[in-house]
Amino acid sequence: MTISHLRAILWAQMRTLRNYPRMGAAWSTIIGVIWYGGWLAATIAVVRVMSDPDEIRSVAAALPGALSLVFLYWQVMPLLLAATGASLDIRKLQAYPIPVLELFAVEAMLRVTAGLEMFMLLLGGAAAVALNPALSKTGVAGFILYLAFNLFLAVGLREGMRRILAHQRIREIAFFVLVLSAALPQLLIARGGGRVAGMLHLLRNDFWSGWPWTAAANLALGRHALPAFAILAAWCALAALFGLWQFSASLNFDVEAAAARPARSAGRAGLLERLYHLPSLVFSDPLAALIEKEIRTLVRSPRFRLVFLMGFTFGVIILLPTTLTRNGYSLPFFRNNYLMIVSMYSLLLLGEVCFWNAFGFDRSAAQMYYLAPIPLARVLLGKNLTAVVFIILEVAAVTMACGLIGMPLSPHGLLEAFAVASVVTIYLMSAGNLTSVRQPRGVNPDSALRHSTAGRVQAVLLVIYPLAYIPAGLAYLARYAFNNEAALFAVLAFFALVGVVIYRIALDSAVQLAERQRERILAALSAGEGPIAA
Amino acid sequence: MDAFPAIEVRDLRKVYGDKAAVDGLSLTVPSGCFFGFLGPNGAGKTTTIKMLMGLAPPTAGTIRLLGLPMPERALEIKSQIGLVPDESLLFDHLTGGEFIEFVGRIYGLERLVARERAGELLQLFELDAARNKLITEYSKGMRKRVAMAAALIHRPKLFLMDEPFEGVDAVGARLMKEILLDQVRRGATIFLTSHVLEVVERLCDRVAIIHEGRLVLEDSMTQLRGASETLEEAFVRAVGVERTLETLDWL
Repeated sequence: MTISHLRAILWAQMRTLRNYPRMGAAWSTIIGVIWYGGWLAATIAVVRVMSDPDEIRSVAAALPGALSLVFLYWQVMPLLLAATGASLDIRKLQAYPIPVLELFAVEAMLRVTAGLEMFMLLLGGAAAVALNPALSKTGVAGFILYLAFNLFLAVGLREGMRRILAHQRIREIAFFVLVLSAALPQLLIARGGGRVAGMLHLLRNDFWSGWPWTAAANLALGRHALPAFAILAAWCALAALFGLWQFSASLNFDVEAAAARPARSAGRAGLLERLYHLPSLVFSDPLAALIEKEIRTLVRSPRFRLVFLMGFTFGVIILLPTTLTRNGYSLPFFRNNYLMIVSMYSLLLLGEVCFWNAFGFDRSAAQMYYLAPIPLARVLLGKNLTAVVFIILEVAAVTMACGLIGMPLSPHGLLEAFAVASVVTIYLMSAGNLTSVRQPRGVNPDSALRHSTAGRVQAVLLVIYPLAYIPAGLAYLARYAFNNEAALFAVLAFFALVGVVIYRIALDSAVQLAERQRERILAALSAGEGPIAA
Repeated sequence: MDAFPAIEVRDLRKVYGDKAAVDGLSLTVPSGCFFGFLGPNGAGKTTTIKMLMGLAPPTAGTIRLLGLPMPERALEIKSQIGLVPDESLLFDHLTGGEFIEFVGRIYGLERLVARERAGELLQLFELDAARNKLITEYSKGMRKRVAMAAALIHRPKLFLMDEPFEGVDAVGARLMKEILLDQVRRGATIFLTSHVLEVVERLCDRVAIIHEGRLVLEDSMTQLRGASETLEEAFVRAVGVERTLETLDWL
């Protein structure tokens, strides 16, 4: 295998990044520094502990478990957040005579972007083994092979996921299978300690030394090094074969054919049409037409549909442990406010498709907004009202899902969830209108997975959303301080009023900015990517 | 000239959902031919060319390019083909020069050779003034020109071109036509789709017309001219759309 293609691809990507720094890169960099800075600190701590010969015993006890967590984070988190990091733009590259193995090698390297945090930790582990005088230097191979294993496996899982999510007929079914498989451990935790302990025992070092994380730990620590090496190499080879198989299948996969819709039955089409016309009952044109167009566009976008589904399925399931302890005892706050908490989580997810980059999905329509005789403020209002429609639907779906799993529901809880979601939404939309015109970016609405990294998504959630949730936090604080439900609603009402003023100011600012920078915005929305979509 | 046809497709079929975009297409393009592939909007031209380029796998049928089966010998085939694809396949954030150099390197040219040829091609296509502009800043015609320049860098035997003259001004189109005719004189085969019938009429030796995924006409330009028909008349007759203009009261 030559590396000339690989070098050419990387060269073109470097040129792309140099030629066209993204809008909003500064903000993105700050978030990146905060997030990855934290993980760098963790890596340094790992190196310090693991390189200390006196800590060998405790390291030996903890390492297999820690490596299994690395595995879960790297492989599962991107799937949970539907954000799998940078990847090759196969659509553009497959026209050229590039051998599959070379493309696969680049793609495997790009999987680092799906778990950069874990990549840092594993490299830290390898450095620590090299620095520890009590350990053999060959132990470094344990971390390196484990790294390769995770990279290859990540390629396979990503490509498999990508193809499933591109398929018009089976996308939603496959998604629900994924939700159910994610639900299984949560349900086991919720239902019984003994069985869970039994399940966890299967993953332990002393149960089976054939797990890749156990073999990696054994190799790193020099315990049964030869068999451990053989086991880990075998896992690595299997992962490579799996990754290559899935990647080759993706190269031959026809996205357009998979996404082709069968002709709709007249009855179903009629029902959908009636739903699309609902905004016309409340609003007059052109606002009603704008909202109707937004609803049609979003509903047809695989990315939006995935995120909307995730809000009331994954959201309900992954937060379940917050309501339970190991012995099944409920944590009162989480259990009593579960509906509100899941609604907030779904707002986090919907923000990406509804607020933060409002022009991203319909970039071809952005030009029309500038040409049509409609004030831009009306366009943004139309987009915001559409977001409100979907938030109401999402909270309603979350309510039903919570009811299905037996969470306590009451009219009061429902009112509270809607009130909190509404207030938070006002602030999110205010900020979203500004980011939509400050950092516009074209998004492929046909791609269900996005190219940002799961880590970056978490960083954004951790850094930005707490600010928007401050009013809700203060409302709950007021209820706690005054021990009175009315205090919660009074504070929410106050912040709703403040929010409306802020929304108005932010909307005006966004419109002025959009008018001043129309050329820049249209260029940013219509720009494509390099050979690597990042 | 090669003994085998440059393009040979048999019973090619491509289905999207429950609609066949290409339905049983069989076509032979002789080596050294300038071949025009025509059809009304949505007829299946782009789908066909995407299948030939290896961008979309056929639902059924066989493809042989330059005597080799596709996709079994895809790498060998691709290394001998020059593509002017849909412009969305360009890399917008590279400059014209960088893009051509990149394509040259992907086709296996040494970096310095690729860079040198990229410079020469930019000059040939009169793009050297825009050498340092990003492709995203190019006009539609410039994008087509840069795509064609990139297609030439490795001296391919077969060109597959999807609407190469779309949006290109008269001067640019003339330049591109001369370059393409020169390539044919040197033994290359050109397969292009176009809506500009005058261009096809002037350049091509043979034409095929596809309608609703099926081949409705294939002939040499000489035969067509012999029948004292213009290409436009043959096209309208072949696709069977002779509409009378209806009037709208409110218009």
